[in-house]
Amino acid sequence: MKTTIKIAWRNIWRTPMRSFLVIGSIVMGIWAGIFVIAFSYGLNKQRTLSSIKNSISHIQIHHPEYDKDYDSKYFLENPDLIKTELETNANIKAFAFRSLLNGMISSPVKSNGVRIIGINKNQEKEVTGIHSGLVEGNYFESKRKNQILIGEALSKKLKVKLRSKIVLTFQDTDNNIVAGAFRVCGIFKTQYTKYDEGTVFIQNSDLQRLIKSKEFHQVALLCNSLDDVDSTYHNLKTNLNDYEVKDWKTISPELAYADEIMETWLFLIMIIIMLALIFGIINTMLMAVFERRRELGMLMAIGMNKSKVFFLILTETFFLSLIGAPMGMFLGALTIKLTSETGINLAIVGEGLQSVGLGNVIYPVIETKFYIFISVMVFIFTLIAAIYPSRKALKLKPTEAIRTI
Amino acid sequence: MEIIKTTHLTKVYSNNGLEVKAVNHIDLSIEEGEFTAIVGPSGSGKTTLLNMIGGLDDSTEGTVKIAGTNINSLSENELIDFRLKNIGFVFQAYNLIPVLTAKENVEFIMLLQGLSEKERKQRSEELLNHVGLADKLDSRPNQLSGGQQQRVAVARALASKPSFILADEPTANLDSHSTSTLLDMMAEMNEKEKVTFLFSTHDQRVIDKARRVITIEDGKIIKDERR
Amino acid sequence: MKMIFKMAWRNIWRSKRRSIITISSIFFAVFFAVFARSFQIGVYNKMIANMVGMYTGYLQIHQNGFWEEQSIDNSFIPDQSVLDLLHDNKDITDFNERLESFALTASDNLTKGAIIMGVNLEKEDGLMDLSPKLISGEFPAHTSSSLLISEGLASYYNMSVGDSLILLGQGYHGASANGIFPVSGILKFPMPNLNDRLVLMPILAAQELYAAPERLTSLVLQIDKPEKLNKLKKYISKKLDLEKYELLDWKSLLPELVQTIQADSAGGVIIIGVLYMIISFGILGTLLMMTAERMREFGILISIGMRKSKLILTLIMESLFMGILASIIGISVVSPVRYYFNRNPIRLEDQAAESIEAFGFEPVIPASLDMDIAMNHAGIVLLIVLICTIYPIVTILRLKPVKAMRT
Repeated sequence: MKTTIKIAWRNIWRTPMRSFLVIGSIVMGIWAGIFVIAFSYGLNKQRTLSSIKNSISHIQIHHPEYDKDYDSKYFLENPDLIKTELETNANIKAFAFRSLLNGMISSPVKSNGVRIIGINKNQEKEVTGIHSGLVEGNYFESKRKNQILIGEALSKKLKVKLRSKIVLTFQDTDNNIVAGAFRVCGIFKTQYTKYDEGTVFIQNSDLQRLIKSKEFHQVALLCNSLDDVDSTYHNLKTNLNDYEVKDWKTISPELAYADEIMETWLFLIMIIIMLALIFGIINTMLMAVFERRRELGMLMAIGMNKSKVFFLILTETFFLSLIGAPMGMFLGALTIKLTSETGINLAIVGEGLQSVGLGNVIYPVIETKFYIFISVMVFIFTLIAAIYPSRKALKLKPTEAIRTI
Repeated sequence: MEIIKTTHLTKVYSNNGLEVKAVNHIDLSIEEGEFTAIVGPSGSGKTTLLNMIGGLDDSTEGTVKIAGTNINSLSENELIDFRLKNIGFVFQAYNLIPVLTAKENVEFIMLLQGLSEKERKQRSEELLNHVGLADKLDSRPNQLSGGQQQRVAVARALASKPSFILADEPTANLDSHSTSTLLDMMAEMNEKEKVTFLFSTHDQRVIDKARRVITIEDGKIIKDERR
Repeated sequence: MKMIFKMAWRNIWRSKRRSIITISSIFFAVFFAVFARSFQIGVYNKMIANMVGMYTGYLQIHQNGFWEEQSIDNSFIPDQSVLDLLHDNKDITDFNERLESFALTASDNLTKGAIIMGVNLEKEDGLMDLSPKLISGEFPAHTSSSLLISEGLASYYNMSVGDSLILLGQGYHGASANGIFPVSGILKFPMPNLNDRLVLMPILAAQELYAAPERLTSLVLQIDKPEKLNKLKKYISKKLDLEKYELLDWKSLLPELVQTIQADSAGGVIIIGVLYMIISFGILGTLLMMTAERMREFGILISIGMRKSKLILTLIMESLFMGILASIIGISVVSPVRYYFNRNPIRLEDQAAESIEAFGFEPVIPASLDMDIAMNHAGIVLLIVLICTIYPIVTILRLKPVKAMRT
């Protein structure tokens, strides 16, 4: 037994190429497993963060009826109360008050229905990324009144450009039609053309002047980090229970469950990768067993029984896995460490994806438990893969040993 | 005492419908203490015959008895065990386990037999001394010359105290000096300790040293000469 | 050359064991690559089918210029030749006439903008699956002028079946479009952007409202085999007068879906890339070992006088043969497996499933049956095999016959 182990250990150093191939397969298998998992979670995280940054923020506050209808009559009563609450909460990094209305935008050529978002430009800057998504123009830099930001797709539809004049039409709180002329100060582009076509930004001050009231419909806020959201959410729900408070998971449940959805995918992909690995190892080892037929035949000729030969090959595989596993984990960890700092830019495989904010760069992230899990799995699968070639070895005839050249 | 007895031993190969009788009803008897060479041209069937006598191949017809035991009736694992205890092998090449030293190679057989560490150590040193390689105990096969490797192989073959030693072209890869050293050593063992040797060979020097020469052609014994 | 062919082919069968091992490593490569990619594409196709089935359909015919400027003035009356063309094509299961426009709805002193769809309700039921969405009331008759309104509208106006809704809009060539219409049923759409502002009315009534008798804004084609879309599109484009009409597929109709899929696809490509790394390594390993095993044989051939270039060519041929054979077997084996997972897709569980069902979609991961996938990836694997063959080629180039024969 001990000698078989001794022979097994020395055997793996005797044929570097063969051993390298098996070790290489194991290293690749572990690396692949770690990378794919980290990449997938990173992808989800990027999507979540991107959506939070560009669209839904961490928490939103509305009038309780607002959701059913989006009617401007459901504005936030007592906004100062909310403001105070938010300012005193240490977990909250920034907040933005917004007015939201539906209306029409018209150019000399065309009209279109749009969602008008009235913002406080300084507050908004801290909470979303629209200020950095401009392809032309500026973010309300001018002190002039009635400046507007429109999407590139909309500018094309309306056939307007920077500094063009457009007319916004909407209803005030008494349902009177209000119109105002605005000048395009900036043009933005996001990942979604539909959004660009249907959304415009103006300053709250201008909006409130036109509808003659200081009304806000929504507060969007960012916490210091994603981890703070849960506690902040519960705090605000309690303290601001006259309002509707929603966290990002409630607003976009598909994001919240993105990890779960992805886990089914991941499971499928991992199975495929593991199977590919196993068959690769089986093939390599079958080749190896055949190459060693003389040596193995000789062992059986002189009296080493079948179970010992089987054990010999399995032990060799065990040692190779023992060498390969830490190497694989190390390589995986190294890759994750490097890419989690610099990120992986998807533009290398996608075609110039447009985006505001975090966009195309993925930062792989993985929980430590996976390193162990993957390595153990590959280790076990490698041993399982070795069973078939080992049994084939037993079918070798001792006469192979006697065969003269 | 009769060590080896074959009765009507036959091996037929079927190759795409063509039947080849590699060994054709051979009756053979080898006694203890013999130093016998089986000779014949390539394709004569001597390797096949030796394979069957060594229990490495099964026969189509007929039986092989080694030291009274009919080896055809043994199962595969029993056969391996039998070889371990009763037959010592010296092949033309690839005799030794490449990753073990000379001493470890010799000990290996005894390890398989279950001897104690002390016994193994003692006997392996003894045997290697006997074949003139006392200074090469810790050398690996790739550090030994061809002749030296074959001598280790003989030491190993003797380690299990077998009924006989089966040597298939043991000198084919050796120069004349190594050949004579090896042969002299084997002859001495045969004389002094009555170790039975059965060779299969082309080598004239081996044939010259043999006391019985069995010639095989087309699967049959055509000459059996005792000197 | 023929000699090399023969030699290469026979070489493969000379050592069955070795060839089977090599072929199987290539086979697994093709199998797994195609298998994985089928799921990725399958999900995208399902996403497309879901989104397309909600509203736009796969293919629409409009008056030329309509999509740029979607006004009622860009409506058209389809020529009989067009209708015949659509009728005769077996891949088009049905085509829906629509007159769509914008209107302001009103009731009491509330107003809200809405999309008015003048449709053939039975046909739309086939495309948009309206029947299960009907939460109260019933479908209006083809000749009536009753409305189906979306749930969002109904709750905004606090309306129920039997109440009436005012529609105010702009008709054809400037005519005004006003009317008051009874609500015969309420539909609930899972997507809020539809649920908030949709009105469906029988097309005859819509045409009357907008003073556009017999006019349509679009013909929506229903297709039961989405994989035939491109072929169908080409076929119809040829027969259609493209000065008069425009033919748009879902990619033009739903550009954000295209963008969503693109964004997702990049990640998928990277993962397939990792899979390829593993299978390439497997193939390389097999070729490495094969080369080592055949060193003596190569040495002997070169010694007796075979030129290295001929030997290399033979080896390349062998790789190609084995690669092609393995690909054929791979595609043959993977196809029924894909078929199985196409009919029995993998189901998502629990909350993940719920979050998708909330959109009205099935939470499944199906496998695509697209033959392109099989061809493309078999091709890539073949390329990898050829690249891996570089190792034995280099070995042969550096080979010293005597040394090789000593192994």
